Amino acid sequence: MTRSGPTALTALAAALLADDGTTEWTRAVPRRVETLLDAMPAPARTAIRGAATAIDAYAVARTGRRLRALGFAEREHVMASLAAHRALLPLLDAVKVPVLLAAGTERNLRQGSAPPLPAPDDPPLDCTPSCGWPTRSTADAVVVGSGAGGAMAARTLARAGLRVVIVEEGEHHTTASFGRRTPLDRFTDLYRDGGATIALGNPPLVLPVGRAVGGTTVVNSGTCYRTPDHVVTRWLDRYGFEVAEGFDAHLDEVERTLRVARQPLDVLGDNGRLALAGAKELGWTAAPLRRNAPGCRGSCQCVVGCPTGAKQSVQLSVLPEACAAGAAIMTGARVLRILTDPDRPGGPRAAGVVVGRPDGTELEILSPLVVVAAGALQTPQLLRRSGLGGHPRTGRNLSVHPALSVAGRFSRPVTGWKGVLQSVGVEELHSDGILIEATAAPPGMSSFVLPGVGRELRREIEGTDHLATLGAMVADRPSGRVLGRERTLLRYDLAPRDARRLLRAQRAMGRLLFAAGAAEVLTGVPHAPRARDLGQLDALLDTVTARHLHVSAFHPTGTAAAGTDPERSPADPEGRLRGVHGVLIADGSVLPGCPEVNPQLSIMAAALGIAQRVVTRL
Amino acid sequence: MTPRGTEFRETMLGRVRLGDEERERPVRLDLVVRADVVLLPHRTTPARVTGRVRIAGRADDAEAVGELEISPLARRRIRYRISFVMEGRRLELDGWKSISAGRPLASMTVLPYTLHEDGERVGEGTLRFPLATGLLPFLASFRFPGAAEWHLAPRWDGDPGRTEVWYTTLTDPVTGSGVWLHHELVAPTDGSGAYAHGWAAVFPKDGPAEHARFGPVPWTEHGPGFTTEDVHALPGRLDGSAGPFTWSLTETPHGGPVHTFPRWSWRRPWLPASHMLPAARCEYSGTVRYGDSELRLDGAAGASARIYGHGNARRWAWLHADLGGGDVLEIVAAVSMRRGLDRLPPLVFLRLLRDGRAWPRRAERTAVGWAGLGRFRAHLGLPEWRVTGRAGLRRIKVTVTQPPRRTLTLDYTDPDGSPAVCRNSETADAVVTLERWWGSWREEATWRLSGTAHAEVGDR
Repeated sequence: MTRSGPTALTALAAALLADDGTTEWTRAVPRRVETLLDAMPAPARTAIRGAATAIDAYAVARTGRRLRALGFAEREHVMASLAAHRALLPLLDAVKVPVLLAAGTERNLRQGSAPPLPAPDDPPLDCTPSCGWPTRSTADAVVVGSGAGGAMAARTLARAGLRVVIVEEGEHHTTASFGRRTPLDRFTDLYRDGGATIALGNPPLVLPVGRAVGGTTVVNSGTCYRTPDHVVTRWLDRYGFEVAEGFDAHLDEVERTLRVARQPLDVLGDNGRLALAGAKELGWTAAPLRRNAPGCRGSCQCVVGCPTGAKQSVQLSVLPEACAAGAAIMTGARVLRILTDPDRPGGPRAAGVVVGRPDGTELEILSPLVVVAAGALQTPQLLRRSGLGGHPRTGRNLSVHPALSVAGRFSRPVTGWKGVLQSVGVEELHSDGILIEATAAPPGMSSFVLPGVGRELRREIEGTDHLATLGAMVADRPSGRVLGRERTLLRYDLAPRDARRLLRAQRAMGRLLFAAGAAEVLTGVPHAPRARDLGQLDALLDTVTARHLHVSAFHPTGTAAAGTDPERSPADPEGRLRGVHGVLIADGSVLPGCPEVNPQLSIMAAALGIAQRVVTRL
Repeated sequence: MTPRGTEFRETMLGRVRLGDEERERPVRLDLVVRADVVLLPHRTTPARVTGRVRIAGRADDAEAVGELEISPLARRRIRYRISFVMEGRRLELDGWKSISAGRPLASMTVLPYTLHEDGERVGEGTLRFPLATGLLPFLASFRFPGAAEWHLAPRWDGDPGRTEVWYTTLTDPVTGSGVWLHHELVAPTDGSGAYAHGWAAVFPKDGPAEHARFGPVPWTEHGPGFTTEDVHALPGRLDGSAGPFTWSLTETPHGGPVHTFPRWSWRRPWLPASHMLPAARCEYSGTVRYGDSELRLDGAAGASARIYGHGNARRWAWLHADLGGGDVLEIVAAVSMRRGLDRLPPLVFLRLLRDGRAWPRRAERTAVGWAGLGRFRAHLGLPEWRVTGRAGLRRIKVTVTQPPRRTLTLDYTDPDGSPAVCRNSETADAVVTLERWWGSWREEATWRLSGTAHAEVGDR
């Protein structure tokens, strides 16, 4: 690391936030930005530091002095002239994201956040860190990953009497531990690559995925949509995904396990209420979402670990049942490769896994059954590392359910972080592949990129309690792919149809916010940041293409899809990896296509179906 | 192609941390590994393991057993599963070397393992193969013995003038009686039909011996051993009847085959005859009835042997001595009937199996020495005959006594019809003295067999 990196970043943070030394919270932002960057993968870190250095160089070119040497007014001037260059706005936004996250957290801390709610004791789990696990062991089944799919498969296999070991790369976080730390600190711990997983493309996508005991279910919003009937029908008819037969029964079982119910209105929060009001005004179909959070207290921290234990992530619901049936969980353990015996009669057969410990040593577990549930982004890479990724469609067929958000400024405080994080679903356009969900951000962690720099941005930050946020996800074509074997490397080229859907979704969300009474809509587009009425919004968005959007995605699926066509599907219709015996795919990657809704139930039901088919053959 | 097995020894040293204590303890494994097939690195070879497991201060089990899965290339794994006893508890050692092309040496020599008791983990540790001290003995220990069953199959290919023998001798440890079951196939030189015959004999401890002949009957069967209507000598089983004798025995082989004559002479019958033991030692259980008497055998020590050749020698002597502890001495000293060879002194073929190793290493060494120099010598006679010889830094002296009262005299007939006389005792005495050169000859081992040696002397 060069000295100019942190220094340039410190000066840039001060410039972006118009730090005039009058408030305490701005002073702590650079240090927190550094902490945040340390959790990110090296390429993201380097890119942000590089951008900071480039902006520093711009200041030198403009004034002859570096940003840190400039006075408050000069700094403002430099930043304003920088922001005037439309081509440089994406660069500026890239560095604004960590600064905004750090600023929100520090501001929230100084404002005095609410005392942590008392956390209940979690149901017991049989967790052992990998450093305490023997170097050589055996099992009847190894499940790679403890997320939605892995947990469900593990429970099914353990209940059938198999000795199951669940291997999880992340650590076990208790509900009590969530309440003790700021959301941002938890964010960097609970997400792979500090939440900065990027899919290359135009526009690039941010694709954060969880990494902990419980997988992404620890950090999802708790929204539990059943797989739409037309999707199930398509999986069955077009792809021959046999597991989808009797899917309703599997979904029922999953819903029972997760105690899924419609979110009551009492703790819904203003964000959700405004969405309902807007939809009502427009006559659109909208309702509180069905969630797996009985007794939710509206702490709005789902995506960084529910601090009250209300959200029934799998580490609170499925995994305790799996452990009660005899399964054991190994934490801090990255599966380096799947072992195969190539000389078995009848063809190659899975023999176990090689697991890397954090200290660099390795351990091995021999097992005739390996269930791969490492997530749609990691499963193809694991298969490639194991010499099992030879199928040309492994890693391809990536759907991500791309999403974007729009914020509305209201005259009265909204305080989105008091209430349910993802509260209301607007399904008016769902038949067109667009699902709008009222989605707030945890305290101090707005993911919405606020417009402006300097004083303007500072004003926006200080006015975040007047913002309501909507998010929309579009059912996409499988136009992405997972590359590489080790580090997460993604390519996603937004299909033209999906780009149109995103733009339509953006317009629809703006309309909804205005209908709810928003004084102003923030589009998130750097060069067309705000509109004060519907007409202005339409005019603005006419200048916007999908390339200008800040697109994120949370639901990767399909990278080791199951199906009848051996040419197109790496896994057979029952989720067994082709070309080897004893390897099951039981996570989002096995789904043949985008489920068009939040996919937790779909993944869990598929994993249940896949594991049950194996059990019936035992 | 001879179906062959693999046998080797491996010693590994390491440490273990038992679950019930904090400190680590030294561990040592001394294993003998046997596979039924030739070990090929690109294949997966299952093998049986016997040996000794020592955990300092806690366990020393010389009767550990288990299995190995040897697959260094195909599965990149060499897995050890060994069951042993520690303080009265039966533990299972389960571990494997995980072969890596990037770290060939380390991955081939390091064996991490876990100890289980009734499926529960009770300890773990790592064993290492000591390359500096262990590699040469490890490589030198490799043997590829043929399977005992294969050696029991008939060798006769229809040529006239051949004789083939399956014979078994054993000693009942309870009564001290000896038993001799002789099964012979003779293909006469004149081309007439081959016939099977033989006899059974019992040598009570204090004599005299009793015997009864069976056959001759035409040789028709082509089974996995010697088979006539009444008598069978098959892998793992001996039964039949001859006059007042009936017998039914199971045979459990121990150890690999022993070629008393050079190994090649069994595969390629260029010598007048060749003699070998499918297994160095066998245990026999079952019954032998003769007249009103009956022997009930349970783990009686002995051996089965095979002869294939042109006929009996001009003069010969034979000894099979079970020296205890798995050690065996096998001697055949013979003067050939062939012209020219019949003028030579008896050629001695001596194999001493001691601690799993054969001495001398080559069977030819005792018979011809170095162009005749240093060959072993035999002084044939009765009631006593002797064999002496030196090879390398060791020399041996064997004295066999066949008291007339405990000796049975039988007439033999060669394929060409010429007669021979055999004087056999399965309750012979023998004294075997082995000495080693340490600047002077010092006694290394002496075995005295009283009534448990199996011997015979034959002449014309």
